[in-house]
Amino acid sequence: MSVIECHGLGRSFGKVAAVDSVSFAMEEGAFLAFLGPNGAGKSTLLNMLTTLIVPTRGEARVAGADIRREPERVRAAIGVVFQDPALDDRLTAREVLRFHAALYRLPRREVEGAVDRAIDWAQLSSAADRPVRTFSGGMKRRLELARALMHGPRLLILDEPTLGLDPQGRRDLWDRIAELRGEGMSVLMTTHIVKEAEECGRVGVIEAGRLVAMGTPAELAIRTLGRATASLEEAFLHLTGRDLRDTEASPRDRIVAFRKRGGELTG
Amino acid sequence: MTTVSAIPGIAVRWIDPRVVGVAWWRELVRYRRDRSQIFGAVSRTLLWLVILGFGLGATLKEIEGYTYAQYILPGVVTLNVLFASLQSAMALVWDRQVGLLREVLVSPAPMLSVALGKICGGASVAVVQGAIPLAFAPLIGLRIGVLDLVLAGAVMFAMGMTITALGVIMACRMKTFEGFGSISNGVIQPLYFLSGAIYPLKGIVGGVGFLDIPQHLRDELGRYGIHAIGGGWVVELPVWLKALVYANPVSYMLDLLRLVALDFSQLPLAASLAVITVLPPLAVLLAARAMAGLRGA
Repeated sequence: MSVIECHGLGRSFGKVAAVDSVSFAMEEGAFLAFLGPNGAGKSTLLNMLTTLIVPTRGEARVAGADIRREPERVRAAIGVVFQDPALDDRLTAREVLRFHAALYRLPRREVEGAVDRAIDWAQLSSAADRPVRTFSGGMKRRLELARALMHGPRLLILDEPTLGLDPQGRRDLWDRIAELRGEGMSVLMTTHIVKEAEECGRVGVIEAGRLVAMGTPAELAIRTLGRATASLEEAFLHLTGRDLRDTEASPRDRIVAFRKRGGELTG
Repeated sequence: MTTVSAIPGIAVRWIDPRVVGVAWWRELVRYRRDRSQIFGAVSRTLLWLVILGFGLGATLKEIEGYTYAQYILPGVVTLNVLFASLQSAMALVWDRQVGLLREVLVSPAPMLSVALGKICGGASVAVVQGAIPLAFAPLIGLRIGVLDLVLAGAVMFAMGMTITALGVIMACRMKTFEGFGSISNGVIQPLYFLSGAIYPLKGIVGGVGFLDIPQHLRDELGRYGIHAIGGGWVVELPVWLKALVYANPVSYMLDLLRLVALDFSQLPLAASLAVITVLPPLAVLLAARAMAGLRGA
């Protein structure tokens, strides 16, 4: 059974096709990574699958629901962790989780139990009542992962989940993903780090808005370079070329830069 | 990790009281943990009410029988409501790029409920911020009854909802904070200066011993709704300025505040009541539509 099915999914902004046409299926319980250089269209693809943006062509079903016609059902069935923390710095960890419980309509009498379990799972018991702004990057990531799991999603979607983590945090995150996969969770992630993609079950290589290759890391090596001994990195560079990818600062980058300059009123 | 299973087959609902409640609560928690907003409200009150009120009040002895500080009190309340509302709304720009809003957008929560909660939260903060100048009323010789305070709270809440919703609509169109300062000043200042907050639409303004009005003339003027206790001259705004003041919805809300705080008003009561009952729900609906546009755009 497929947890994601995509047929010719694409999105254009004006005349620019951020995602040209992507078709693939992801089996329930699979671990799939989208690998691609910056600006290849990974985020746009993920935004369509999480119903944040509407595709301009093609269709997709996520967790059995159509992303255009039944976005609420898609949202209820997935857990998402964004590239940058999507947290309120002024709330405590416990408050962040309670907020989530209300958004997903967890039964009221189960909320406190679910919050406690999530805090335990994220190993944040001693920091549970501290504002999130005092958390390290690793703590924030654990909190967000625990939050994404709170409503029992069928599919976990992680956008560049290891970005900004130290080696310990990275290891911990991989261990947690492995544990979740052991319980049968489907996991979809994006990355631009080839080493990370190598550890995933299947890899889809995205380049210029297209899914140019998909398979296990070994399959990709054989298919693109004809030998199983080739590394995924060699295969990746063969598929996507060696040109540097320079993109403009996104609104998010500009806001983060604004915060660093210290001019913000509300953070 | 064992999880609580989500409710399957979520019905599409518009108003979910729990979502409204949690979005509202979040605004209050954020306010409580940010002391700088209270500092801003107190410093604005001191500057406008005490410094400008007494400073300009030394020249303009009275407006329609009220001291200048008394006259601008409802205006200072309004200024605090404007600032608090727009600040709550503008936090959305931040929230959307690097904050909690993305979590809300990928959740099944209905956007109308999120918007309603956020706007009610912003309006609640506006009431608290607006109450700060009211606490200074005894200092400028005003006594405001309990019922009038409750009514003032209701007006501040409605005004807060309208302005927060307006700010939300703007924030949904902004991608960065770079224009934040100019936009908030470009909105707050015209709404404030064109509301009749710091000058009357018409009436008698008293100067220093300029002219004393005989009692019979004062009674006569009173019958036309113009009151004066000292001497002064009759002012009338230029027509173009008057038109702008009449076109500004904040003028009507402010006039209601003036009515409950000072027992004095300059605009037709029916118009003010119409503005305050029609505008807040309308603004909330438009803001909800703008926020829904952030999802699935």
